[in-house]
Amino acid sequence: MSNTQSQEKQAEASQQPQQQKATVLEEDDEFEDFPVDDWSENETEQAAGSAANGNNVHLWEESWDDDDAAEDFSKQLKEELKKVEASH
Amino acid sequence: MSSILQDFEDGQRHGSGPRLALALTPVDTPQDPDRLKSFYSFSNSAQISASLRYYLCQTCGLKIPKQELNAWIDILSAYWKAVGEILQFNEFPSRASWVRVFDNWKEVANLLIRAYSNSGFENWTIPCLYVVGKYLRIFASKADAETSSQGSVAYLQDDASTDFGKDAKTEEAARVLNRMFTLCLNDRAPIDESRKWGVYYMTNLLFKTYFKINAVGLSKNLLRALSAQSKELPDLEDFPKSHIVTFKYFVGVIYFLDESYSEAEEHLAYAWRFCHKNAMKNKELILTYLVPCHLVTTHTLPSKKLLSHAPRLEALFRSLCDCIRKGDLHGFDAAMTAGEEEFVKRRIYLPLERGRDIALRNLFRKVFIAGGFEEAKDGQPPIRRTRIPVAEFVAALRIGTHADARTRIDIDEVECLLSNLIYKGLMKGYIARERGMIVLSKGGTAFPGTGV
Repeated sequence: MSNTQSQEKQAEASQQPQQQKATVLEEDDEFEDFPVDDWSENETEQAAGSAANGNNVHLWEESWDDDDAAEDFSKQLKEELKKVEASH
Repeated sequence: MSSILQDFEDGQRHGSGPRLALALTPVDTPQDPDRLKSFYSFSNSAQISASLRYYLCQTCGLKIPKQELNAWIDILSAYWKAVGEILQFNEFPSRASWVRVFDNWKEVANLLIRAYSNSGFENWTIPCLYVVGKYLRIFASKADAETSSQGSVAYLQDDASTDFGKDAKTEEAARVLNRMFTLCLNDRAPIDESRKWGVYYMTNLLFKTYFKINAVGLSKNLLRALSAQSKELPDLEDFPKSHIVTFKYFVGVIYFLDESYSEAEEHLAYAWRFCHKNAMKNKELILTYLVPCHLVTTHTLPSKKLLSHAPRLEALFRSLCDCIRKGDLHGFDAAMTAGEEEFVKRRIYLPLERGRDIALRNLFRKVFIAGGFEEAKDGQPPIRRTRIPVAEFVAALRIGTHADARTRIDIDEVECLLSNLIYKGLMKGYIARERGMIVLSKGGTAFPGTGV
């Protein structure tokens, strides 16, 4: 069940005492029991990630470069610089 | 015929721990909605022991050694009583009480512990310990919620006692679970027959319990006990993945809360790799801590793809990450304020705050990129302009903080920010104050790890 659905359900059950609601929400944050005890290597996230990408999943952003925005920033910087220089 | 007794018989007959544990699972199932009721109507409180003995020995013809059989009859009788208390919630809700369910269940747990120590229960039955421990924690939590909802009036009258005893049953459960943990950890039997295989499951139950009552510090005692025994324990890879992934998650979070982010990252990354690919909720929880760790240790952001698969994380981190990437300090501050309550609740505020340095680094990096290249000499590859007026960084900071015409940003302030970044290793270079210049390192090391 998705988070939104379960929250809606809680909202509907307005007759529930406040206390109980708080507990339910807290438990929502708890690490869940896995439905199975053990699983094979190819059911792991690691294997699923490499299968989806052909190699290793790119969890992290590799590059900071944003060529589209670099041009804009350059212009913006020049304008701001003029303002700074004018004020001195 | 009760399916509980059927599960018990099958478990014993086939030596199946999971089946036996099913018998001790105190819930109705969709297939058998009257599962508990039919077990409870099997006998009455005066005769339950005798009925169980007759049923197991005569009706089923199970051959269980005498001492073991007696222990099982005691456990099942206590279990029968606990089931009776649970059924009250259907039969006579006004008389039902989670405190009584807990007290009766605790008796089941104590008898089970005693049976392992004294009556020769074998290690294949260990899933019974898991299920009894698991429900002990659940019932304790319900009992504490019940007590605090009933006692709210009394608490109001005496402020000093507001918090006193509000987790009483959960604390009681923790003590019993701790004995189960020791029972597993200190088993001296050869490893194939050892209860040591249950040690991580029990550790995880205790972690969950300690986190619930805000006693995370106690978790470290468990880690110390485990590391003292590490030579006698099988390799992590040999345990079921559900035990290990949960264990690694909690160890990661424990280091995280200590602000030991690189250790935390190691454990969380392990949990991530071996987590079941469909366990969305758990994967999100792992990443909730792994993403801030990674930000602090390697100064990198989660990929767009990673966030797009996890809606909860997308909501939690997206705008923050976008601002860090763009060097938008104003947006970063706004996103931190907007998410503050959630970040504090999840205890990730502190490491995320460090993302401001990365946002600033990215902003200044853009100044460097915008500076372009020096004129190339004699066919040498072009090199970036590495002497940059401080004024350019002042202008960038005005852009990044959305400064309006009235806002003053002093050169001193910017020099201070620059020297901070240099000190933290996010930039390489020095400030030539007399010339009002920043001299950055050449050869693609001005902003280490970012390619320029």
